Parts: sequence; structure tokens; C-alpha cells
Amino acid sequence: MKKQYAFLVDSELCIGCFTCAMACRNYYHPPEGVIWRQVYPLDEEIYPHRERAFYSLACNHCENPTCLNVCPVEAYTKREEDGVVVHHQEKCIGCGNCIRSCPYGAPKYNPVEKRAEKCSFCHERLDAGLKPACIQSCPTGALSMVDLAELEPGNQVQYPAGFPKMEDVNPSTRFILPKLPRLVRR
Amino acid sequence: MQSMEFPLVLFTVLSQAAVGLALMGAVRVSSGPQGRSPRREWIMVAGLIGLGLLASLFHLGHPTGAPRALVHLSTAWLSREVLLAGTFAVLAVLAVLVSKTEVNPVLAWAGSLVGLGLILSAGMTYAPPAFPAVNNALPATFFLLSAVTLGAGFGSWFASESRQPLMGGIFGAGLLVALVLYLVVPCVWLSGGAVMRMTGQTWLGSGFYWVHVAVLAACLLVFRLTKGIPVWLPVLLLLGELAGRAGFFADTIHTAANLGGLY
Repeated sequence: MKKQYAFLVDSELCIGCFTCAMACRNYYHPPEGVIWRQVYPLDEEIYPHRERAFYSLACNHCENPTCLNVCPVEAYTKREEDGVVVHHQEKCIGCGNCIRSCPYGAPKYNPVEKRAEKCSFCHERLDAGLKPACIQSCPTGALSMVDLAELEPGNQVQYPAGFPKMEDVNPSTRFILPKLPRLVRR
Repeated sequence: MQSMEFPLVLFTVLSQAAVGLALMGAVRVSSGPQGRSPRREWIMVAGLIGLGLLASLFHLGHPTGAPRALVHLSTAWLSREVLLAGTFAVLAVLAVLVSKTEVNPVLAWAGSLVGLGLILSAGMTYAPPAFPAVNNALPATFFLLSAVTLGAGFGSWFASESRQPLMGGIFGAGLLVALVLYLVVPCVWLSGGAVMRMTGQTWLGSGFYWVHVAVLAACLLVFRLTKGIPVWLPVLLLLGELAGRAGFFADTIHTAANLGGLY
């Protein structure tokens, strides 16, 4: 398997503080309402406890990205060296086809630029030997970066409840499921 | 509720009306004497596709980049849709230029085949995995029904007296199939997965949906009562199709709307 960087979301550690989402905004300064990384609370049907569990999600840098396949102007590329899916905004004509087509809602419309944009895995930071802004900012270590080519089998899952199962696109993000707190009765 | 995508509503409905009109013209050319003023009919085809293409530019953030939408023909159905829409428009203009009293059957059928390709590619463009309810053959079927009903309706304006029953038969059958399909499909979605069920509920609670269904039923009733296609009826159907298409874009739910919930 070729090198494929992926986000590893540890929902057991995530406290839903939104620091990752804020770090992304602080780094890229997208206009108001344009959110590349979002923190989603799990429904009570999935996590039945008064405390909440969360998924921090951005672009999944899929193996077979829908955005790349449907873009009529070839504004998306997938980097050979690490599998990161990059949107080249200067090529984008703002047709919105990627926004409509991505099952994870990763590309967003920037009303100022009148073009789409999305998480780029901070590839310029990766090239400089740094971690993506969201990962660097996470105070609990719930968000980390893995290479799927080297990831040892463990308790990570690809399609947890609350995350659409799209085998054709094969999203790279992996999750560690949250455990329900143990009730100790005296 | 998502964006109504008004430029896309205009582009898809007007281009499908143009394709339907060309298809019905080709059917009449192949089945008997030519209708009234074939040149005027092709002027209408060219006008509809021209208006549709013009409207589609308003959907783009950067309309001047529209010609570059042709570069990804290998995988992007939108690129193929743009290519086929452009080719159809060129054929329509060519037909206007060459048809004086009669339509060239080769040109008529070439336009129809390219038009059907346009409907297929549009159906594939609007059937992405992000919309489970329409990630199938439904968009292409909806679009084909729009083309057939609008084409037969507007085609009656140009058909000779002897071909009016043919146009009426296609119009009535198309309306009946469309009405049944639009009534059944949202009910089927209610028994699907979470996002499909949300789509069914949204459609059934949508004014766009009910206006469309009411217009289809009204057109079918008028057709049955008058035993023909009154001259104003295709215009009413066009308005109904525009409302239905607005609902198609606004009321079909995206998978991302339920992130964190059960699928």
C-alpha cells in the first residue's frame, strides 16, 4: 500500500472543546460560516449517556475521492507522496459540483472567493515537517495523524455509527470508539 | 432545506424541454408528413437550449471559466453534460439554418440522440453518493419524463392535424407515468435508511413537491377532458416542472446533514 496520511479521531479522548476547529479557522482565516473542520456530537442512540461523545471531522482524503472525480475543471489532485487530496482554488470555477457530491460534506463554498475550498491536511506544514494545525492544537491528543500503510491493526474502525459508509470512495479517517462510562454503585 | 439552485433549475428544465421537442420532431419526421413550420420548431429548440445554457452560467462563481469545464471528460459527468449540451445547441442552430420547409431526418435524429445523451449525463451528474435517495437511476428517469412530456406538449404546437393524436398519446402516457412515479417514490424513500427517509419526509412536506404533483394531475385531467392538448397546457406544465425541479434541488437531503446520527 502506498503512503496515505489519515486523521485518527479518538472519541474516547475527545472532550468536544472545538479547539481543533478553532485552530483550523485561526490558521486559514476562512470567511464567517465557512468551516473546514467541525465537531459533531453523537446522537444518544449511538452514545446513550448524559455525557456526550464527539467526532472531529474534516476532509477524509479518500482513496477514490468523489470531489476529484466529479470536478469538471480538474481543480483537485491527490498527492502521490502522501495521498493528501488538495484543492487548487485558482482552477476552481465555483460550480459547486464537489460540494454537492462529497458524501461527507468536506468541500465548502467560499462566498467571498466564489469558489469551493476544503481541508488540505495542512500539506504545506507537512512539507515543512510540522503537524496539521488541528492536530497540533488538540489539548487531549484525541486527534492525531497516521499513515495507513504503516498502521498496525488495532481498535481503530473506518465506519463507526454516525459516519456514512461509502466503500467506493474509501475515506482514510479512522476512529477509536468512545467507551460508555462505568457506573459504580455503592 | 438546501439551496434551490435556480440557475440549475432553469438549465435542466429548459434543456430537457429542448431535447424533448427535438425528439418529438424526429418521431414525427420518421412517421409521416412534416408538421407545420419545422423551422420555427427548431428556432424554439435552439432558443430553449440557448436560454438554459445562459442560465447555467449564473450558477458559476466564475462564469468566464465555463469553457474549462470540458477538461475532465474522463471521469466527470458534468464535463460530459457540458460537452453534450454544447453539441446539442450547435446541432439545433444547424437545423435552424438548413430547414426551410422540411427537416433533415439525419439532423433531427442526431440532435435527438445527443439530447438523450445530455439527459443521461445530467442524470448521472445529479446522482452522487452524497444523496442516497437519488444515487440511482431516478434523476435520469425524472429528466427523461420531463423531456417527453414537455416535448410532446410543445410539439403539439408544431404538429400537423394528423400527428396531433400521436403527440397527445405520448403527452398523456408521459404525464400518467410521471404522476405515478412522483407519488410512489417519496413513499418508498420512507422505508429506506435515515437520509433517504429524511428526504421522503422533506419532499412530502414541501410546497414545491405538491405544486408539481398538482400541475401533473391538472394537466392529465385537462388532457382527458379536452381529448387534446390546449395551446396553454404546455406552459402550465413547464411551470410545474420548474417547481418540481426546485424541490429536487432544495428538498433532497445530503448525507452530511446527519453526521453523528444513525445512518
